[in-house]
Amino acid sequence: MKGRNSMNEYLWGGEFNTGNYESPVAVVTMAERIDLPEGKVAVWGKMMTENLGVEKVVANIISNPNIRFLIIFGSDIRGHRSGSTLLSLHENGLGEDNRILGAPGAMPYIENIDREAVERFQQQVEIVNLLGEEKEEGLLKAIDDCIEKDPGSFGDPYIAIKIETKGAQMEDLQGKIALCRDLLLDPLGKITTLNTQGEE
Amino acid sequence: MIVYSFATEQKICEIGSVKVGGQPGELPTLLIGTVFYGRRYKELNEELLEKASKDIEAQRTISEETGNPSMLDVFIDSEEHVEERLSYVLDHTSSMEPFSIDVPEAEVRIEALDYLDGQGALDRVLYNSMNLGITEEEKEAIRSHPPKAAIVLGYNPRDLSTDGRMGILGHGSGMVEGGLIEMALECGIENLLLDTAATPFDHKAAETLRSIPAMKNRWGYPVGCSIHNTVESWLWLKKRRKENRELYNICDIGSNGLTIVLGADYMVYGPVSNAPFAFPFVGMVDKLVSEGAEEYFGVEPPEIHPRSRME
Repeated sequence: MKGRNSMNEYLWGGEFNTGNYESPVAVVTMAERIDLPEGKVAVWGKMMTENLGVEKVVANIISNPNIRFLIIFGSDIRGHRSGSTLLSLHENGLGEDNRILGAPGAMPYIENIDREAVERFQQQVEIVNLLGEEKEEGLLKAIDDCIEKDPGSFGDPYIAIKIETKGAQMEDLQGKIALCRDLLLDPLGKITTLNTQGEE
Repeated sequence: MIVYSFATEQKICEIGSVKVGGQPGELPTLLIGTVFYGRRYKELNEELLEKASKDIEAQRTISEETGNPSMLDVFIDSEEHVEERLSYVLDHTSSMEPFSIDVPEAEVRIEALDYLDGQGALDRVLYNSMNLGITEEEKEAIRSHPPKAAIVLGYNPRDLSTDGRMGILGHGSGMVEGGLIEMALECGIENLLLDTAATPFDHKAAETLRSIPAMKNRWGYPVGCSIHNTVESWLWLKKRRKENRELYNICDIGSNGLTIVLGADYMVYGPVSNAPFAFPFVGMVDKLVSEGAEEYFGVEPPEIHPRSRME
């Protein structure tokens, strides 16, 4: 459990291990849990989904300016294609509708971090694409290569603020509550429809 | 204890021998258990197949005991597993037993439909799922080989609120023309099961639940979800899973009860090996809902129901 999920340095959380904060290397291991040398890697862990998972990786990486290389290692996630989606985000960025341009995943949208955070991610790290690789020796060598060419810190940490979207809030309407924009629930559990003028 | 009654007509969907939907208390909850999920099933061996066979039979037995209808959810992660897994399930289920095909990739879903059509089994198939990632090729495959029913996933990556989830189903939220429900109907699927799309904690997980009565009342189709996925992604619990399996199972299986009191008609409850615990637990909640529905709204339970089977 040592070092796992340290929330002191990577505020967006996720299923990852932390090692040497000064290291220039981060590793996404897709669905695999892998033990990596703590002294050589800043943070490494899983990434399953092409939207929420990718957002967490981006936000956590840019919060540590020492990280200059992101290695994407292992088999891509079936259906989600989150590894390929992360590559697309780094290469192409976001479209106007917040869809990751060129991403092959089913639902590749970034909604909880802003475009500035994405641009910072693109500028701060170089991607090392080991997607599809399964041999850990290759990963370990890539880590060493990255450390060898460490360009130094990118500057200040970038703390990505989570964009909060306001959903339908429950409102008290004469003893009834709104389940969503136009559905009312009475105290006995009867559900009725509310029209857009606020009348039943 | 709240038991809902919906103002709109509540549809009942029949797939093989299974009925699902209606007003709360009208039918017992359908439980769908997954088989072949996980890396250990990458290559099927005799031991794994024997275990699967025992688990399938155990689900059938406990389903009979509690009165909750059951279905297998067949996980297929690649083309090479389509025939292997589906032929196994066809061999281990009767012609009246429906099953769900749970396939993450569109190309594999297309291949599964083609295979099942060849086997004459499409009238037993619940397609899991039609979602935002659907491709034109997939829509064409569904039209050519229509399954009996489909789960339509209300996952809206741009808005995880109840309104957002309903938007992707109802009007498409700018991402699916006309919305996923209209698209499913256009593809020729009449029996729709709506899925509120379980999300992790801190990602509007509660909206997964609130969407249940909202979707039921709006469209009248059976509604459910895989709320166990919310539990499975919970890091605090994940860290304790190995040392305390009982704790994990309590949270995992117990999460299903929350959906039923909010009106859910079905749930994909996780590995089929959990059936001996999931069914009695859900049966117990069904008893409570049925009592409340009868008391408040005059909804009488059917002959086969946990209220009579689990006295």
